[in-house]
Amino acid sequence: MGTLTTRFSTIQDPDEKHKFLLNMGPQHPCTHGVLRIVLEMDGEYAMGIDPILGYGHRMHEKMAECRQWSGFYPNTGRIDYGGAIPYNHGYCALIERMAGIEVPERAEYIRVITVELNRIASHFLGVGAYVIDLGAFTPILYMFDDREDILDALEDITGSRLTYCHHRVGGVSKDIDDLFIKRTRAIIKNIRSRFDMYDRLVTGNIIFQKRTKDVGIIPVEMARRYGATGPVLRGSGLGFDIRKNEPYSVYPEFDFDIPTGENGDAFDRYMVRMLELEQSLRIIEQALDKLPDGPVMAKVKRVKLQPGDCSFSVEAARGMLTYYLVGDGSNVPYKLKIRVPSYSNLSLLEELCKGSLIADLVSAMGSLDLIIPEIDR
Amino acid sequence: MSLSTELVKILNAVEIKAVEADYKKQGYHVEVLLNKDQVRDFSKIMLEKEFYLDFVTAVHIESGFQAVYQFGHFEESCHVNAKAVTKDGTIHTICDIFHGANWHERETHDFYGLKFTDHPDLRVLILDEEDADLNPLLKKENKLKSLEKITRSEESQDKPAKSVKNKAAAKIREKKAKPEVKSEDKQDDKPAESS
Repeated sequence: MGTLTTRFSTIQDPDEKHKFLLNMGPQHPCTHGVLRIVLEMDGEYAMGIDPILGYGHRMHEKMAECRQWSGFYPNTGRIDYGGAIPYNHGYCALIERMAGIEVPERAEYIRVITVELNRIASHFLGVGAYVIDLGAFTPILYMFDDREDILDALEDITGSRLTYCHHRVGGVSKDIDDLFIKRTRAIIKNIRSRFDMYDRLVTGNIIFQKRTKDVGIIPVEMARRYGATGPVLRGSGLGFDIRKNEPYSVYPEFDFDIPTGENGDAFDRYMVRMLELEQSLRIIEQALDKLPDGPVMAKVKRVKLQPGDCSFSVEAARGMLTYYLVGDGSNVPYKLKIRVPSYSNLSLLEELCKGSLIADLVSAMGSLDLIIPEIDR
Repeated sequence: MSLSTELVKILNAVEIKAVEADYKKQGYHVEVLLNKDQVRDFSKIMLEKEFYLDFVTAVHIESGFQAVYQFGHFEESCHVNAKAVTKDGTIHTICDIFHGANWHERETHDFYGLKFTDHPDLRVLILDEEDADLNPLLKKENKLKSLEKITRSEESQDKPAKSVKNKAAAKIREKKAKPEVKSEDKQDDKPAESS
């Protein structure tokens, strides 16, 4: 790898001789992956922030242009390894929208159940890793215990534990059975019984509160300029969620709320994630109750991507995910753009943390819940 | 009046081509076709109307690039897709209006070599610095298509599979009848410049 020039490769102004450069990452634990940040430090304060991306870059968009659309299924599970199933869902729904394919109702319910289970697992990963950044080691062990149950259940029906590839155009690849339903109900009960403990262990912890309250405040207007979505935006008090704003799949049939914060600080973003766990549990419960019988796969003839563009947005665990596809009449996409939520969420870091303590930078960055390979694609 | 109808009226009033799209088929509510020099005026209107930036990207076509901008709205269900064709590979930046466009434009510059004029900091973002001129998403000449071939048209919308089939059959028939005319047609189709 060649030398990477940053915006502040030299500090020449004699008045600024006391400033120094600090290289954070690409192996720093709080960057959750391989993100490098060059900081221009004035004592303990970060006066300039320059994130350098690309260590996990795989050029998924080029791969999409080099194969038939059906060959891109496995890639969708490898963009965001924290919450892969919404990526599956978005891609299948995009092709279905382009080709006008109707999905059987049971398949839509199974999609919602798996997506919400994955969202819970992803929030446990995000919150657990965040709390570890702030110095508390215990919560992640409990959260991974809960997450493990979900992964076991998902493994039974999808065959994988992390990089899922379960949804197909026209339905899902495998039906769920009674064992899965029984297990999922047990998981719901178990997670609900733990909420009190999480409140006492993390939310009520005075050190945690001092590290997160009034740190990294994002006003709504700033979120709009950068296109931040997901819990990052909802923490600022705006209840924007694609599941409600532009309903897709069978989400309109469920009764659930969109939790929002008030101040837009790191604590509010954490709280939004914890409250979303309960909402996801509610959706899964209702879906299991209402689960209709029938086939899980529609009869799909060979799909040709008609000329023209099409876009589909879903609510992934970290915010709004948009697939944008341009077809040319063949079965190979002419162009596929994947708009990932973390990308826009990270781009506001510089404005957010300019002039803050480096400890607050770690706290604010952790609260964005970034998955770096998702940003690099 | 819904936001999309209102927006179409506002845009048409300042001579920007905008039509309401079929959300069920296209996934956005308003489609905007911009001239290259309207990009900034259009973005200012979008910021005024409190839209947020979804993404910026480009499509490589025979006559150059098509820059694609997508916007959404936090309160109302309204996605706006705007396209601007640039033949010389440059287009004006919007990153001082929507700050989030900064990274999207840098990424597009990495992948396509599309130059965003007046961008404050057009360094490589995702690629390695040694590969800054690689532009991995540029297509080879034999795979390049013209703008018409990747644009939605009424006949292709109705029965995609059939029309494709018919076209193929028609091509073969045509070839059998007059092969020399066919080859001339092909040459005419290709525009002289391609960047």
